[in-house]
Amino acid sequence: MATKTKSSAQRDTPKWEMVIDLDRCTGCQACVIACQAENNIPINEESAFHEHRAIQWIRIERYWEGEFPDVKARFLPLLCQQCDNAPCEPVCPVYATYHNEEGLNVQVYNRCVGTRYCGNNCPYHARLFNYWEPVWPEDLRNQLNPDVTVRTRGVMEKCTFCIQRIRRATRGGEAVEDGALQPACVQSCPTSALVFGNANDPDAKVTRLKNDERHFRVMEHLGTDPSVTYLKQVDVDG
Amino acid sequence: MNSRVVKIAIPVVGASVLLVVAFVGWFVISAWWSNPPPVLGFGEGPEQPIAFPHTVHVSDAGLDCQFCHRTVSTDEAATIPAVAQCLFCHGFDKIDGRLSTSETAQEELAKLIADLGEPQQPINWNRVYRLPDHVQFVHAPHIQQGISCSTCHGEIGEMQVVKQVRNLKMRDCVDCHRDNGAPTDCSTCHY
Repeated sequence: MATKTKSSAQRDTPKWEMVIDLDRCTGCQACVIACQAENNIPINEESAFHEHRAIQWIRIERYWEGEFPDVKARFLPLLCQQCDNAPCEPVCPVYATYHNEEGLNVQVYNRCVGTRYCGNNCPYHARLFNYWEPVWPEDLRNQLNPDVTVRTRGVMEKCTFCIQRIRRATRGGEAVEDGALQPACVQSCPTSALVFGNANDPDAKVTRLKNDERHFRVMEHLGTDPSVTYLKQVDVDG
Repeated sequence: MNSRVVKIAIPVVGASVLLVVAFVGWFVISAWWSNPPPVLGFGEGPEQPIAFPHTVHVSDAGLDCQFCHRTVSTDEAATIPAVAQCLFCHGFDKIDGRLSTSETAQEELAKLIADLGEPQQPINWNRVYRLPDHVQFVHAPHIQQGISCSTCHGEIGEMQVVKQVRNLKMRDCVDCHRDNGAPTDCSTCHY
């Protein structure tokens, strides 16, 4: 791992990572809506949720802690963790998902044949399958993002860390200023709970925050080596 | 009686199976080796609402591509200029059109003015080049790297009607990317 980071730093290749401060997250779902709009995600009917077939690249996991009236709500925004040792990658029979130089776990829609092995192998349930042809109300068809492919029925999809924004920001070849590049969820977060940046840059906010004493990664014991770091919520009253 | 039916049926069934196999084989081979179907402007190129001659503008008048396709070096698309930009050279208030003396030009200019309508609408040009939806092609980096327009679009200045000259299948893109040391990561174009 150490050598990998070093070699990518030498090539000046960024390593995109995210930090989510759970102490700041209010569970408002702004990130969910922003992601839906940015990435051409079809509108989910209520029945889709009941069938566990709803498509959300980022979702808020809600937990209740304690008994009424001493009850606490905990929120955990969960998106593709862009694992450095991703369980979804080796199981794809057609090489439709792989790791690129920037530490992104990439999904190539036009290669995907829809075996769903990757989704079954993902411990975070971050991969979603298009069970239906995506549809939007007629009025909303013109708001589709032209930078993002509309996925057809039968392919897997997932959070891309808004790769279209990364491509746009890095097109000129110059280094991206820390904080200038934000995925839709990070941009929309009212409490700035989500921070995105280049972890190969020692001065980046994301690098500083991921080494905070509250840091943890979801299901780290599985050895997936996620690129998303969470900061624990700490209660003052214990 | 029965044997006669069989005698007829066997060659009929055999021929249809052969036909199906031949069709599938032809489809696969042609899809692999040939150009995409000619609906997108191969061969003759689609007819346009106004017979805009690139020959006159590029070869004779010597205009640079970017004089009209202005966002090609900064944006995804090269964009087709607004009519206002045509106006820049052709004073439409004087129908004689300062820079166009031929009769065809007069006709086309008159058509252009008639087409605009009131309120003025953009011209519905027919698309010549089309990439599949899962390909995100951005013009800007190619121009910035010094790739000339004619590398992909051919000698537009010699085309009376613009047509597609390169098939732009993925092999075409990847070969060029390899030759020029450009990234061949899938996510360069597919996302």
